[in-house]
Amino acid sequence: MSSEEIIDPTVQHDASVRRVLLHMVLPFVLIIMTVVAIAWVGINSYRTTSEGVSVLTRELLDATQQYIGQEVGDYIAPSAAGNLIAGGMIEHAPPLVSDKVFYSYGSTMLQKIPQLQSFYLADDQGNFTLITRSSTKDVQDHVRLVTEPDGKKVFQHTLYNAMGQKVGQHDVPANDYDPRTRPWYKNTANKDTIQWTQPYLFPSDKQFVMTSSLRFKRDDGHEMVFATNISLNELSAFLDKIKIGKTGSAMIVDANGRIIAGRNLMQHAQAAGWDPDKMVLDPKVYPVFALGYDHYRVRGFGPKQVEWDGKTYIAMASALPRYSQGWILLIAAPENDFGSFAHQSSRQSLQFAAIVTVFSLLLGGLYIRQLRKTEAVNRRLAVQHAQVAQESGALQQVAVTPQLFDPTAEPLVITEQLAQVAGARRASLWRFLHDGAAMVCDDTYDRTQNTHSGGFEMGREELGKLFEAIEEGTSFFVGNAATDERTTRFERLVMREASTHALAVYPVRGPHGALGMLALEEPIMLPHLQYFVELMASIAGTRFAAQGALEAHQGAVGDGAGLPAPAATLGVTKSDNLLMRAEEMAAVTGASIYPAVAVLVVSFSDPVVEGNKETTTLIALINQLATQVQSVAHEEQLFAVEVAGHRMICMAGCTTEPDHTALFRLANAALKMRETFMAALAAADLEPVFTMGMDFGPAFGGAVGQAPTVFNLWGQTVSLAELMAESAIDPGTIQVTERVYASLRDRYLFRSRGSFFVPHLGLGRAYTLAARR
Amino acid sequence: MDVYASGPLLELNKAIPSFDESGLPPVPFSMKLMPGECMVVEARDIGHSTMFADLCSGLVPLDGGAVRFMGLDWADLGDRELNALRGRIGRVTHRASWPEFVPIHLAIVLQQLHHTTRQIDDLVQDAANLAERFGLPGLPTESPSFLPEDDLLRASCVRAFLGQPHLLLLEDPVEGGPAELSNSFLAAITEARDRGAGVIWLVRNNAVWQEYRQGITATWRLADDGLVAVRMG
Repeated sequence: MSSEEIIDPTVQHDASVRRVLLHMVLPFVLIIMTVVAIAWVGINSYRTTSEGVSVLTRELLDATQQYIGQEVGDYIAPSAAGNLIAGGMIEHAPPLVSDKVFYSYGSTMLQKIPQLQSFYLADDQGNFTLITRSSTKDVQDHVRLVTEPDGKKVFQHTLYNAMGQKVGQHDVPANDYDPRTRPWYKNTANKDTIQWTQPYLFPSDKQFVMTSSLRFKRDDGHEMVFATNISLNELSAFLDKIKIGKTGSAMIVDANGRIIAGRNLMQHAQAAGWDPDKMVLDPKVYPVFALGYDHYRVRGFGPKQVEWDGKTYIAMASALPRYSQGWILLIAAPENDFGSFAHQSSRQSLQFAAIVTVFSLLLGGLYIRQLRKTEAVNRRLAVQHAQVAQESGALQQVAVTPQLFDPTAEPLVITEQLAQVAGARRASLWRFLHDGAAMVCDDTYDRTQNTHSGGFEMGREELGKLFEAIEEGTSFFVGNAATDERTTRFERLVMREASTHALAVYPVRGPHGALGMLALEEPIMLPHLQYFVELMASIAGTRFAAQGALEAHQGAVGDGAGLPAPAATLGVTKSDNLLMRAEEMAAVTGASIYPAVAVLVVSFSDPVVEGNKETTTLIALINQLATQVQSVAHEEQLFAVEVAGHRMICMAGCTTEPDHTALFRLANAALKMRETFMAALAAADLEPVFTMGMDFGPAFGGAVGQAPTVFNLWGQTVSLAELMAESAIDPGTIQVTERVYASLRDRYLFRSRGSFFVPHLGLGRAYTLAARR
Repeated sequence: MDVYASGPLLELNKAIPSFDESGLPPVPFSMKLMPGECMVVEARDIGHSTMFADLCSGLVPLDGGAVRFMGLDWADLGDRELNALRGRIGRVTHRASWPEFVPIHLAIVLQQLHHTTRQIDDLVQDAANLAERFGLPGLPTESPSFLPEDDLLRASCVRAFLGQPHLLLLEDPVEGGPAELSNSFLAAITEARDRGAGVIWLVRNNAVWQEYRQGITATWRLADDGLVAVRMG
């Protein structure tokens, strides 16, 4: 690749679509697909798990609900079922033993079933018996409503211990107590099924109690009511103890939303002023239960998802079994209690996905990195291959050079190929002279200018360090030759003119030590380059050795032969190439600056002649033209007409004071000459083979040389006139500069050729002088 | 310019140009041009000459075969490489090729400005030298429409030879051009070949190149049956 090319087309750049696809897009797509696949699996897993958890949660809640229902049923059953049993027993027992049956049944039930508080037995005659637990542990209180002889009613309390032994007795005034006025008695009127009262509080022992009662008719025809008080505190304690998930809880409410049992029942009762009617589901206290209850009222029984405070709860409402008078079991539990393991599993899946993603990215990165490294290595290999090919080509070029080892032939190919292969700005071959006292440059090739030069000589005194380094026989490279003591002077003397800085020096070795050096300026130091350079150094060494032998031989011959005799003194030249000269020229002795010189250059192209006859004719024609030029020059009083090869330079106005007529005279002369030349050439049956160029301006001129002294004119005006002549658009035309046009345009006719840029001179227009106006 | 020495500089290997795209006969074209060689291709039809030069530049789609320049198949290269490789070709074409929106001097150096990092001063210097050499008083700065036909031909030569291209596809500027251009043109061809450039000189008749006969390495004729070798007598 040329070092100036922006893109090297020989290198397949990385921009190919296939490469980008293979090396960049594919890994990224694979990584993204991996991540998407992991995410998809994770999401699916999460969904499946969530659905499973949801189903499981509902099933668990169903099971819990059934369990609680069963428990509540079991809790209440002794009360309800006990009524039926006791009622049946008392119904058919003789009246005298009915009390005994009642006490016996009640005593046993109170001992065995803790939630039962007391039993009532009343008849339509106002008789009333009661068995309950006393405040003393394991002591039962048998109470009978007795009418004293004085007509006062008292509750006759008889206390029995667990062994059935009477441990105390006392009476309590019953005032006007009549069991038939009590709710538990009245609500059984005309009913033969178990009836429940509303819960109510026993303030004495802080027990919430409900009473179930059953009316039956005794054999003697009297109606009796058997009632059982059952404590709801135990139910609440049971509900409190039961575990639903981690933090779930259950509550029983009646059809009107009043709390029957539940967690913290006593605190709630206290807050409600111990009024059961005020113990409703307060959304402030039981927000989730209240939501669940509302859902139930709108949507009926079943599990519902409710949101509270950003959390999802499962609220489940279900009917309680028989005897429960339309009670509703409410269960509420955070969904997380059941789904936490699913969340944990999802989190773990996410972590796993993140780890897999990170590894995928890492692997993708490594894959891309490896690809890039492979590519870089491939590129390096390609560069090496190219280098090898280039070196082989260069070596072939060197090998096929005729007289490669002939010391009398120029070693141009060596430096050229060295510069090409090494990409060096310049390559040069230096040879030791005079037993190493000096070094001469056999050839220097400048690659940028494509030029060869040589012949410079430098002594050991100037470059002692460099000489010593070369004689050591080791090649070396310095990035900045100006700062290395071995090459400082070399840089100043040789490299500075080319503005080069880096220098690689390879000693050229012969059989008896160093013979010279091979220097590369601004080389691109590729690996393996050394082999090629060493090879070139060896070829140069062979040449140097042969050259040394030849010089030694020539020295021996020269010493014997002596110098040739000096040439005979040449005579004074009689002609100074001036076809015409003005008389004023005789006064010119030295060089002067002429401010306004008009210069006309006539350029003839080389005629083709094929025989002596034609040559004779041509010379006659040239002579004719020259004579006519002289004539015109005299007519127009030109200063001089100089002939140089196929060019003729006519000048006017070579005076130190500007001569304003000079340009007009010369323009007239040019037109006359053109006319004359055209006619003469046409007569000789020749095409116009001349072009003419004119310029006007300052020039240097004067007499130069001695014996003979000749007049010469030079400067930009002459150069531009020559340029105009050389670049005239057509043969036989007179091309002039803008300055001439500006001065003559009033009197002559011109055709514009356009504007042109000339380095160092700038922009200008060129015109063709056509004729006089 | 580095000399390309790894085989043919330009190789047409049974390249079948697309007739629809080029109008060239859809037959296999085969030829090789080595570095330093100058090949004359005679074509009566100016349009065919231009299309053949396009074919060599990888601008004509192929129905078969391959065209390789400097060992690279045009069909295998990406756009960047294609353009860069074309930057190594100098062309003189009869097809109108001067953009009106830039003056001539810019149009001349445009290719080198685009493809290389060369300084504009160096380019202008080289272009001006070439302009002088091809008979212009300097580097023309007018718009192309203001320049005479002969000067446009000269400018075409300047543009073609600027930057020392590896391959020169020259649709003959000599025939019908200014007579004195011939010498400059032949001298420039010779110098380019000395550097290792390959030259394809597309002419309309064989009278044009007779003056340079000894320098021609091969002669071909672009006919209806493809590229036919012409025996050099």
